[in-house]
Amino acid sequence: MSSEGIQNGGMAARSKASVIPPHLQLVNVWKRFGSEPNRTVAVSNVDLSIAPGEFVTLIGPSGCGKSTLFNMIAGLLPPDSDGSILLSGQPQPDGALLGKIAFMPQKDLLFPWRTVLDNATLALEVEGMSRRKARAKAESLFPEFGLMGFERHYPHELSGGMRQRVALMRTFLFERDLILLDEPFGALDALTRAMMQRWLLDIWERHKRTVLFITHDIDEAIFLGDKVMVMTARPGTIKQTETIALPRPRDASVITSPDFMEIKRRLLASVEEESMKTFALSRDAADRKTMS
Amino acid sequence: MAIRLNGLRTALPVGLALAGLLLAWEAAVRLFGVPAFVLPGPSGILVTIAEKSNILSAGLLVTLTEVAGGFAIGTFIGVALAIVLVLVPPLELMAIPLVIAINSVPSVAFVPLVLLWFGLGMASKIALAAFAVAIVVLLNTLQGLKRPESEAINLLRSFGASRFGILFRLRLPAAMPFLVTGLRVGLARSTIVVIVAEMMGGYGGLGQVIYQATAMMDSLTVWAGVVVASMASLGLYGLLVALDRKLVWWR
Repeated sequence: MSSEGIQNGGMAARSKASVIPPHLQLVNVWKRFGSEPNRTVAVSNVDLSIAPGEFVTLIGPSGCGKSTLFNMIAGLLPPDSDGSILLSGQPQPDGALLGKIAFMPQKDLLFPWRTVLDNATLALEVEGMSRRKARAKAESLFPEFGLMGFERHYPHELSGGMRQRVALMRTFLFERDLILLDEPFGALDALTRAMMQRWLLDIWERHKRTVLFITHDIDEAIFLGDKVMVMTARPGTIKQTETIALPRPRDASVITSPDFMEIKRRLLASVEEESMKTFALSRDAADRKTMS
Repeated sequence: MAIRLNGLRTALPVGLALAGLLLAWEAAVRLFGVPAFVLPGPSGILVTIAEKSNILSAGLLVTLTEVAGGFAIGTFIGVALAIVLVLVPPLELMAIPLVIAINSVPSVAFVPLVLLWFGLGMASKIALAAFAVAIVVLLNTLQGLKRPESEAINLLRSFGASRFGILFRLRLPAAMPFLVTGLRVGLARSTIVVIVAEMMGGYGGLGQVIYQATAMMDSLTVWAGVVVASMASLGLYGLLVALDRKLVWWR
């Protein structure tokens, strides 16, 4: 199961896989809620593997269990006992992943009582770094994150794009090799979003981290990823893994290239099929309700 | 500059209304020849405050000490209990119905019992004020501590934060606006219960001054006591507003 994931990986993954274990590996991961007959299966039989330094994007219809999957990888939710999560080849028992992965949830979750600078240093403070050292470290990143001059501002004084960058900076400052991003640009307008995507790639190329990025935007998934994984409708599982061989660094013109279009056409069909399923499922449920 | 102007803009109408009220009061008392034991005029009250400044300031000192002492102890107990309850959820389930039941009884109802237990001196008043403050601070702070959404808690957990880390970095700051509300309500309640307790049994304090003046049909001194008491609680309230800005600085 796992070898399949590796073979589907990008060039980088294939050449390294023989020497270095995958950075993150999920083997037969399930998450079921409740007990029969009211059992809900949120995530079923997920196998995936991400090589060190890889940028993997995950798309799927809304409510497909993406966030549940993310919470499990972040260590916030234990997977059911029949599966396992491995980090650099090491199995991770329940709770062991907490503090090992830089996790950025969908909402920016900036604390209104902290300045931008002190929001950015939150993870560092939790790790026990002194406030002075943490601030000094964060301050050096402000130009790169386009937030220079806003160190002493409070979150409510910032625009949506800036708040998102603060949240990203907070995640980056929590220096873990694996970063989980849950639809970080979902709430931004199209222009800001495109800008943030290019900016994120830039940062990623310089900092050399492994990224797993959830989105429901196919363009975004292709533009950013070395690999795009498509999740099925609930119960969520990985349906398809597409390697994106588009050259890097990528700029805006990539989006209109024939190669991009071809990949998009393939993925779109796959994703739409799943979206239709969720639609049908909810319609069935509604039908059943009206009948009973 | 803008702030000072704004302050003036709100203070001016209030000041004018107050001056108008006092003038009308004084005029009515003089015009209709209302006897002082029914309703004295503001000027009479002011003169009495000056004449009786010894008794009044001694009483004020006692009352303020009791309120401040009880307020401090009650706030500490309320916040500490709220923290314990939020860290041990089963305890919360047991304690909260009880606390709400106690809270629905006005604390004044406990005055006779507390006088019996703690005597007629300052201890009984401090205990009553602490009790009145603790209950309302506990309920408000607990509500605030439970305010943060699970996503924010999970974010801190993903950074490896312990329960105490989450308490100090997230729950306590989030609870500050609620604590401030609790303090305001608690202050009003503790002032009331202290003055009432002093009236029902005590050796000093503004309540006792008012009580004794009433017994001697000295309505001017009663009024003087009431005015000093309200000025004092206004002053305390002002202090609390300043504290509010310190505790909830980000608004």
